[in-house]
Amino acid sequence: MKKRLRVLTLFLSVIMMLSLLSACGGNGNNSTASTDSGNSGSSNGGSEPKKDTITALLPPVTGNFQARFTEMEKEFNEMYPNLTLKIEPASWEDMTQKLDTQVNAGSPPDIAWIGSTGLSKYAALNVLLDLNPYLSDEVKADYDAVPLQSFQLGDAQYGLPAYMEIHSIGGNKQFLEEAGLDYKSVQQNGWTYDKFREAIAKGVVKNDKGETTRYGFVFATSGVTSKDYLGIMAKSAGLPEYFDKDLKYTYTSKNFLGLLTSLRQLIDDGSMPKELSSIDAGKRWNMFLTGQTMITGKGLSSFENSARLNNEKIKANDGSAVANSIEADYIVLPVPTFNGADYVPTSVVDGYIALRGKKDPSEEHKQNIALAMTYLSSGQVAANYSSEIFTTPVTASARALEPAESFERNADNVAASDIMKSKAIPARTDIPTDLAAEAIKIETEVIIPKLQALLANEITPQQMYDAVKAAATKSFGADGVVVD
Amino acid sequence: MGLYNNGLRSKGYLFVRNGLIITFLILFAAATIFPIYFMIISSFGDPVEAGAMSYSIFPSKISFESYKFFFKFSPHSLDWLLNSFIVAACITVSNVFFATLAGYAFAKMKFKGKNILFAILLGSMMIPGQVTQVPLYILIVNVFDLQNTYTALIMPSLVTVYNIFLVKQFMSSIPVEIIEAAKIEGCSQPKIFWHIIMPLSKTVMAVLAILTFMAAWNDFFWPFLVTNTMDMQTIQVGLKNFRFANTTYFAPMMAGATISAVPMFILFFSLQKYFLEGVTVGAVKG
Amino acid sequence: MNQTLTKRKKLKLESDSGWGYAFIAVALIAFCLFTAYPVINAFIISLQEYGPLGSTFVGLENFANSFSDELFWKALKNTLVYTLLTVPFNIFLSFLIAILIIPFKKRTQTIFKALYYLPAVASGVALAVVWLWIFDPLKTGIFNQLVGFFGVSNQNWLGSSATAMFSLVLMSWLSSHGTAIIIYLAALLGIDNSYYEAAEIDGATFLQKLWFIVVPFLKPTTLFLLVTGVIGSFQVFQNAYLMTGGGPDHATTMVGLLIFNNAFTYFEFGEAAAQSLVLAAIIGFISFLQFKFIGKDVEY
Repeated sequence: MKKRLRVLTLFLSVIMMLSLLSACGGNGNNSTASTDSGNSGSSNGGSEPKKDTITALLPPVTGNFQARFTEMEKEFNEMYPNLTLKIEPASWEDMTQKLDTQVNAGSPPDIAWIGSTGLSKYAALNVLLDLNPYLSDEVKADYDAVPLQSFQLGDAQYGLPAYMEIHSIGGNKQFLEEAGLDYKSVQQNGWTYDKFREAIAKGVVKNDKGETTRYGFVFATSGVTSKDYLGIMAKSAGLPEYFDKDLKYTYTSKNFLGLLTSLRQLIDDGSMPKELSSIDAGKRWNMFLTGQTMITGKGLSSFENSARLNNEKIKANDGSAVANSIEADYIVLPVPTFNGADYVPTSVVDGYIALRGKKDPSEEHKQNIALAMTYLSSGQVAANYSSEIFTTPVTASARALEPAESFERNADNVAASDIMKSKAIPARTDIPTDLAAEAIKIETEVIIPKLQALLANEITPQQMYDAVKAAATKSFGADGVVVD
Repeated sequence: MGLYNNGLRSKGYLFVRNGLIITFLILFAAATIFPIYFMIISSFGDPVEAGAMSYSIFPSKISFESYKFFFKFSPHSLDWLLNSFIVAACITVSNVFFATLAGYAFAKMKFKGKNILFAILLGSMMIPGQVTQVPLYILIVNVFDLQNTYTALIMPSLVTVYNIFLVKQFMSSIPVEIIEAAKIEGCSQPKIFWHIIMPLSKTVMAVLAILTFMAAWNDFFWPFLVTNTMDMQTIQVGLKNFRFANTTYFAPMMAGATISAVPMFILFFSLQKYFLEGVTVGAVKG
Repeated sequence: MNQTLTKRKKLKLESDSGWGYAFIAVALIAFCLFTAYPVINAFIISLQEYGPLGSTFVGLENFANSFSDELFWKALKNTLVYTLLTVPFNIFLSFLIAILIIPFKKRTQTIFKALYYLPAVASGVALAVVWLWIFDPLKTGIFNQLVGFFGVSNQNWLGSSATAMFSLVLMSWLSSHGTAIIIYLAALLGIDNSYYEAAEIDGATFLQKLWFIVVPFLKPTTLFLLVTGVIGSFQVFQNAYLMTGGGPDHATTMVGLLIFNNAFTYFEFGEAAAQSLVLAAIIGFISFLQFKFIGKDVEY
């Protein structure tokens, strides 16, 4: 009797557990557990040639972009009645982790949003689809060449660009004028490191006690953002890429040492704060708005609007402006050139890639992915979000259209941005994925930590240069690095 | 009575002693509570971008615009709260029951392989989540095909090892004699559990409920992984929707964080009486 | 009489078996599916060069790579230092606060419990923003104003390798202890008043009661907090990631950060799994020592 009762309880608790599992609904399609292979849940194309669903994992590029997801799905369905576009929203910072988990699980979305620098990481896993056979020359001609090339590796076109943005620096108009700087000339003709060094030294203001109340230049370098600082400056220091045309690692050249020496000099001059290494993005923008710095970085074109909004709040005087802020007009400036090198802007291209899971998608499905991706990256969709992030669209079709919402922009800044954009160089498509991966590893494990130490004045430029050179030589061999 | 020798001291001594203790407690509480304070005052700011943050200790303006913005921003703001509630409530109920049951078994029952089983459970806690995340995702999404369901959100946290371990440690101080005596009187284990152990464990169950609810409510990454439409997101996932490419709506995010903290507080106050009283063995014996 | 009792006792004890398994059944099933299965997978992955479309077996290469990596050892050292500086102190602090809250009236107790529980509900994002602001390196920073009061010039808290680790440790000391305090309070309230009464009759002082009644009685709780605290601390990566990015010059690089980088920055899942298992083995060893030295159940 007792024994039976015990067995009954065991049985009951299992039932309870099972009912708890299924109580909350869900499409419990309990296909028996095959331990390691899942089937791609996202792409169901193939069996039926007509109807197809394309999934896309997209971040909120802007608030409005995200708000229009439903509209976009509907519009796409009206354009192609047999196709359904399913947009999966994901938050901006965590999107990569979600995508990476899905990719590693073998069931990624058909389309995902990435920064073009991440292309080689996915290419190394063989999960990218080459869209070349599915994009007509006509479609490709709509895109500007430089951003389009950012999504190429070898001959393959793995995705399409959404926008191209120049990461630069920007100054306070009034302070620039006070320092006697002809900023319009700089916007048009650029400047050398020596001229820049002189200008920001003039921008420094000290109080009676000799304490600095305004710096000439402040760049966000705390934590991983120090990568941006070095990267943006290196572009115009004769080091536009990690690898030269012979695929030799370039950060071992004398140019790199020269750049590091210059970056250290700016702090030693007193033009930049000695605490630079822990100033984050929020802090330096606060410093800009409160008049504690003349120039700030990195600068994006949307900052102009951000400063303008704060100016309006100061005028309204209702306590909503940033505490202690002053009216400031944001002026877009190019990065100075180091080592006598040419000016090369940092162009950041974000866009869409096409992915595959364990199952190889059918020809029709690939064709449909190309259609959806074209829809998302050109025309009205692109016109709208480009306007919201203050950039000029990268497709002719989007440029021809009026965006849903347009914003006031300083004409000088627009002109300066266009000059910078025109100098952008196409991304390299010939760098093998294993070399790219090795370079990322050196960047994360050697360059960034050593740069933080250099900015904190704990090591000399020479020491940092030696450390990077040693790591690069170990990874690429003595023949794989530039020696000069 | 109690740990402190209250009866033997003069009133003045007690006053000074309690004054010093309270001062220390308040000072330390103030230090740890500062982030919450900052969260709340920031939520009263205008819905502007994060780059334009004030970094000031006192708010220069009190406005509820950000709260309005939070609810207007997405038609799913209320869904997020509701989803979080459903998920956290299910996880809490199942953990309180099953973890107490298992914790009792590991602490006070004798069966073959008990110690080895427990060591295995504990050992699994020591492997960082970054590696187990992908296999778990494959299991739930690819094998069971459960993405975007409540089941997927709830299942992996049905009973956590942390909770079993917590209960086991608490139960270890329950005298064995009580259980033995009950057995001799012919009580079966389920009866012992229901009539003796559960009443004695109200305190730990209340603690378990609060901690489990809080962990489930604050969980971000798993809900983020397995949901793929806005209406199935939980509040923590939804709050991240306020971060865009170059801007963050800081004040509405803080307003959302403040709103999301409220249910945890309600739960705390509704359960705290259980560990104010403290059910002791003596209370049962007597 | 006595003999029959022990006999019956023995009999009853043996017959726990069936119920014992029944009681842990649900927990065990859930564990096998959602914890054991992924962990076993992690084992397999650690022996592979992992790729979603096909993995290759590489034996112990991932382990060998980890052990020969200087950075891995440095990260292990940093993690150990961080754990030693934070876990014991935080537990002591929680214990102290719980003890200090106990003598008050119920209403006062509730207020303090709520105050200490409150910070635990703050989201990580809010926390990181506030702490970056507290550690502001310029003179205007909150912490710099504080040390400036004592005549110390402003410090580059998170940016210099002399203070970066200390800053993270300080952040841990001053962040929420709500969970540990609540657990300690619950355990404290489980101590029967009769123990204190008996001690009082013997003329025990406060400290004697603390040492001979409270400390032994709270041993299982302390063990729980120590073991879970060490586990949590060894896996920590978020603070280092958000506040310092592991810098400067790897002064704050933790193993958790390395594993994260391997898994998500370099797509080296095999190596991430291998490092995780090494980490788990170390935590397991430390936990074993903890169980051995303080884990003996205290019976009354």
